Amino acid sequence: MIRTELALLIWLLAMPSIALAHGGVVEDDDICVIKVNYLRAHFKIYQPRVSGHEQFCEDLPAAAESVFVMEYMHDALQTMPIDFRIIRDVTGKGRFARMEHVAAIEDLDAVTVFYKNAMQEPDVYRVSHTFAEEGDFIGIVSARHPETGAVYAAVFPFEVGFTGWGYWPVLIALLVLVQVNYLIMSGRLRRWFGKSAPALLLLSAAALHLPQVALASEFVVTYSTPDGPPEINRMHSWILHVETDQGEPVEGAKIEVDGGMPAHDHGLPTKPRVTEDLGGGDYRLDGVRFHMSGHWEMVITIRNDDAEETVVVFLTL
Amino acid sequence: MSIRPVTLAALAITIATVIWLVSRWDYSPRGWSEEGVAVLESLWLESLPDLPPDPTNRVADDPRAVEFGRRLFFETRFSANGAISCATCHQPERHFTDGLPKGVAIGVSKRNTPSIVGTAYSPWFYWDGRRDSQWSQALSPLEDSNEHAVNRLTTIAIVVADKDYWRMYKALFGEASSVDTMFSNIGKAIAAFERTIMPMPSRFDRYVAAVVAGDEAQQAAIFTDEEVRGLRLFIGAANCTQCHNGPLLTNNEFHNTGLINFKGEVPDKGRVVGIREVLEQPFNCRGAHSDDPARDCAELDFARTGPELIGAFRTPSLRNLENTAPYGHKGQVATLADMLTHYNEAPDAMIGHNEAKPLGLSKRELANLEAFLRTLAAPASYSDR
Repeated sequence: MIRTELALLIWLLAMPSIALAHGGVVEDDDICVIKVNYLRAHFKIYQPRVSGHEQFCEDLPAAAESVFVMEYMHDALQTMPIDFRIIRDVTGKGRFARMEHVAAIEDLDAVTVFYKNAMQEPDVYRVSHTFAEEGDFIGIVSARHPETGAVYAAVFPFEVGFTGWGYWPVLIALLVLVQVNYLIMSGRLRRWFGKSAPALLLLSAAALHLPQVALASEFVVTYSTPDGPPEINRMHSWILHVETDQGEPVEGAKIEVDGGMPAHDHGLPTKPRVTEDLGGGDYRLDGVRFHMSGHWEMVITIRNDDAEETVVVFLTL
Repeated sequence: MSIRPVTLAALAITIATVIWLVSRWDYSPRGWSEEGVAVLESLWLESLPDLPPDPTNRVADDPRAVEFGRRLFFETRFSANGAISCATCHQPERHFTDGLPKGVAIGVSKRNTPSIVGTAYSPWFYWDGRRDSQWSQALSPLEDSNEHAVNRLTTIAIVVADKDYWRMYKALFGEASSVDTMFSNIGKAIAAFERTIMPMPSRFDRYVAAVVAGDEAQQAAIFTDEEVRGLRLFIGAANCTQCHNGPLLTNNEFHNTGLINFKGEVPDKGRVVGIREVLEQPFNCRGAHSDDPARDCAELDFARTGPELIGAFRTPSLRNLENTAPYGHKGQVATLADMLTHYNEAPDAMIGHNEAKPLGLSKRELANLEAFLRTLAAPASYSDR
């Protein structure tokens, strides 16, 4: 019901052309998502001085400092100039306000309470506005496509101070969403294992200075650390040795290495690379560093003409 | 028949209470396992390795550069109003910080003033690691309009016009050369002084010495039970040493810990921006002013970029943190107790994701932890001639 209520029309603004598409802030499978045409971003609002780290999807409890955050789900948004406007809702449509109602406002500037010029904002979009009073507002986010010049916009009506009926349904929806978000976050952990489960066998290094073995169904990977056992906060190198399951060295393979700490939801502090094919199935991996003690995973992808395998090496420091 | 379940419940509660009480009474924080001793040793200042050379700075360990740099560090003429030196914000008596949420010089800095103590061991400088050497870091506040608000030309002109400075400069670097080279040389002299700024042993280090020596009487004289409990939490359930590890109690890496934004500002993007800046920065390890002929820049070569670094900031050293309040990259957190409460709750980050997980520690445990953290207080040492 809320979804239909919030599934808003979008409007390619009048610059080069006018067209219609879907947009606005909707709840998706996870928290709030703003759709700017086909471009999507997680959308959340904070009122840090009154509600700390609590996230809001649209309606805000108080007239206070409000930080609007969009985390891009579509990389194109990183390079598109985005502008952000908040107007007082003079459409009389409340939460049913659409782009056409906004477009019908004669003097947009007169009702604008906040405006941020179009600018490219890589990584994550953030604006902060302190509301002087409670009431009904409409947010308008527009992004210009760098190639076509088309401007995509999303409109989201919201209340500050929860003046209307929307308080409880939204709060309940928020609680559900926080729960859904939590489930998704924990699903992330599973993804780590899911990715590697078919082709992996672990041997914990546990800071033993012994060549370690990880097995894949086609490739067998062993590694050694010529500069002594891995220790935290020191950049060091690994020698990877790759063989087929028949014991023949795999030469000339393309190897990529990534990794991280699943328990902390973060990757390696560096971006290690294979810098040298030493021959005989040996490869030099430079730039390895671990910055915490605990359980690490190194995800090694080996590719040659015959096969591609991902092998995961577990180590505990 | 209706009595039995009640009796059972009462019995269960009684037993649980007794077990709980006994477990508390029995709990003696003293005595360390072999593993525990090894962890303590890894945090001990005695375990700090020798300062690695800085090949990008050929005068890094030259005592003449240390002396020249020391004088430049306190030089107030390097500022738009003639009153600001490096030491305005990096005050030696405050562990080279300033006690303010954000540095105040000509204007107000973007972030909290980080301590310089022990940073010669770090591959990265600033909260977002936007510089990769102490000397290139030393240059940028000079040209920051909120900090010294001068430029490289005026800085050089002051050195050339001052008889002492010019003599010291020439002895180290030779005659005048290009503006950027002379400017970078000034940074290198300041860095030579900054390399001498190191933490001194704290009560914690004396405690570890007593643990290593197996001297229990001495241990009891140095640490209270509360402090020992706090130390156990520090290396255990509170997960502190995941980032605050090694003798300087920092891994010098970047983490998002979900701190709240500074009032009136949007949340700071941190490292994700800093890494882009350092890679393009003309005074970086790969640049023309590095003294390393091999341009061996492993830190830059293998640096990680990407969205994982959104809202991530460099782990600060915890040494003498009692005297470096307020805390956080914007000085958002006023007290140690507030910071511990924040980690205990580990709320969702406003941008990016908070790597820390809620700890679920009790108030008493947080108090123990705080008591331990206060044992890290110790002044810094530095070359003062």
